[in-house]
Amino acid sequence: MIPLSWILAFSLALFFIGLFGAIARKNAISILMGIELMLNAVNINLLAFWRYLYSAHMNGLVFIAVVFAVAAAETAVGLALIISAYRNRRTITAGDFDSLKG
Amino acid sequence: MPTVNDFLLILPEVVLLIWALLILLIDLWIPDTKKYYTAVLSAAGLVISAGCAFALLGRTGSAFSNMVVLDGFSSVLSILFLLSGLAAVALAYDYLKRNAAQRGEYYTLLLFSIAGMMLMASANDLIMVFLSLELLSIPLYILAGFFRPRLASEEAALKYFLLGAFSSAILLFGIAWIYGSTGHTDFPGIVASIDGGRANYLLLLIGAGLLLVGFGFKIGVFPFHMWVPDTYQGSPSSIGAFMTVATKAAGFAALLRVFLVLFPAEAPIMAGILWGLSAASMIFGNTVAIAQMNMKRLLAYSSIANAGYILMAFVPYGNPVIAQEAVSSALFYLLAYALTSFGAWAVMIALEPAESDGLLLQDFSGLGRKYPWLGAALLISMLSFIGVPLTMGFWGKFYLFKTAVDGSQIPLVLIGLLTSLVSAYYYLRIVMFAYFKPGEPQIQPGRWASVVAVICAAGIFVLSFIPTPVFQFAAQMIMGMK
Amino acid sequence: MTAVQIVFLAVAALTLAAAVMVVSLRRMMQSALALILALVGVAVIFALLGSGFFAVSQVVVYIGAIAILIIFAVMLTQNSMSPEHSQMNPGFLYAALGSALLFSSLVFILSMWVGFYAIPVNLDPSVDTITVLGLSLTDPQGFALPFEIVSVLLLAALIGGIYIARDHHRD
Repeated sequence: MIPLSWILAFSLALFFIGLFGAIARKNAISILMGIELMLNAVNINLLAFWRYLYSAHMNGLVFIAVVFAVAAAETAVGLALIISAYRNRRTITAGDFDSLKG
Repeated sequence: MPTVNDFLLILPEVVLLIWALLILLIDLWIPDTKKYYTAVLSAAGLVISAGCAFALLGRTGSAFSNMVVLDGFSSVLSILFLLSGLAAVALAYDYLKRNAAQRGEYYTLLLFSIAGMMLMASANDLIMVFLSLELLSIPLYILAGFFRPRLASEEAALKYFLLGAFSSAILLFGIAWIYGSTGHTDFPGIVASIDGGRANYLLLLIGAGLLLVGFGFKIGVFPFHMWVPDTYQGSPSSIGAFMTVATKAAGFAALLRVFLVLFPAEAPIMAGILWGLSAASMIFGNTVAIAQMNMKRLLAYSSIANAGYILMAFVPYGNPVIAQEAVSSALFYLLAYALTSFGAWAVMIALEPAESDGLLLQDFSGLGRKYPWLGAALLISMLSFIGVPLTMGFWGKFYLFKTAVDGSQIPLVLIGLLTSLVSAYYYLRIVMFAYFKPGEPQIQPGRWASVVAVICAAGIFVLSFIPTPVFQFAAQMIMGMK
Repeated sequence: MTAVQIVFLAVAALTLAAAVMVVSLRRMMQSALALILALVGVAVIFALLGSGFFAVSQVVVYIGAIAILIIFAVMLTQNSMSPEHSQMNPGFLYAALGSALLFSSLVFILSMWVGFYAIPVNLDPSVDTITVLGLSLTDPQGFALPFEIVSVLLLAALIGGIYIARDHHRD
């Protein structure tokens, strides 16, 4: 059987690849893709903990379902905002959004 | 089966959500020229919900098998959120009309967001903490971009969304580690697991750290503040005012409850981190605010500094005696800050012409002479921000500093005092423009913003004569928190 | 090494490679396609962990809805950036270094935890997990409240999405 350590190391790696993407990428959609990777890593984490340690209760699984729903809602709103900004300004590079300055 | 009691305990939230759905429907039949009715209806909903919250004041209990709890802490904060919502509606009505953005969705989304905040203050399960955080954030992403296709507003929304989604993911990862350590998401279960020695300390510590980062973004402390100035400046001003007060208070509500209940054992390590966040926020917010000539940006940096002040009292939270005092002074300060911040924003909104990204400080010139009431409101708000006696701001800072001294955080108190002195410079500069520079500011049509400004200023002044009963009320309310 | 372990290692390596492609490729469409590959990999891991339900949900929600939305967004915003230019912020090397550092220190911390070496318990075959999950989602003494809040949240997102998508000049 697969030891828990393998799965956790995998999910940590996925999380930090996503974190890197969200921090390092210029483009708003790429940032969003990085955030999706982070959310997936969270789900793997939750499912692994549930399966290996706490399979008697349902709260881990409920949490995964909640993350699915929230991720979908967040992505829908976020992509709507990104596309709307693009229609106005013809760019989705986060650094180009600099009309607000002190 | 759900008992009547379950629903009774979340009655204010239920009322508010149902009301939001009704407004969404009714608004379809209200013509664009009569959006006044939508505003009045949503204000009525907020008042009814606040009435329910008042009626439940003093009642305690948990509902839906520990998903949410009702206690003094959540009741007081719920009322604060509802009153902030009322102010946001009053500030919005004329302002949206002026900007030709009178659309019913504003009120529906605002009510959704407030319901999320109320649930956040009473969340007793990490699932609920996460969900209510999203329920308050997602409508605010839209509201920040409410003036689309205006560029500044879209930019504000996009930045708020990207940082908000990023911080949610980090927060979620923290929750996953806490679940991994304890096997529970409900607070009583987690506490039982920790007390029973079954929880792993290291995993909890990782979880606590990640949660702190996630909440740090929401309350906008340095170094998680980068979205704050742009979002507050680009959003509609009524939403900017609402976010500085209510979003921040909601973030603090969750932060205080989660850390007090779940992580007392991690206090020695967390205290150091909180110390750094608090000191950095006070120094950064107050020094950068000096350079700001735009009122909205100035208030944004001031809100970063104020988050630092509130965190100051919370640094020694591991000590149960101090923790009680810290939460009461945080509640007191949030009330004082709400009045002060809404007062300042309201004066600005009363003067702000359509299509503007916030007034410059010069635009306040001559305010004191031409509109004595608004000028006085601005003066009182600024004095309260600094913490001059005879204002609520003074007492707010007094209790925060006192708590920090009791928790022997003398260096932090010194930083707080010094940065308050620095902040006097930029707050008084606004007063100087308003009273000593000639100018012809023009009040915009509609009087609701002025009314809010005067009410807030009166509240700052009048309540400052009875600080002790107010503080004792706060202290009494949080007695049963844990 | 059992067969399951080999499958896991292969899928994990593939998923991580796809994830690295998501965050490093210059062409947006390619990185969106790599995202789909990574999401499929995660679905397989879900299946390996014994949760066929979430594997299917992963395919339906993440690949069927979210990834497709992202691909639409990429197509709608095409030509916004030429692939010749770097897609990275100037300080991306520091970000990579910080992420790697955090990753290795977290793995190091975890290696001191006993639970890290847990092996899976056998699930009780008489319990149908999906039935129990479904019942607890609608049980007021279970998770009915979060379930309802999720519905409110989706409604709020729906209203918000429509508000943003609507062309206000036209109506």
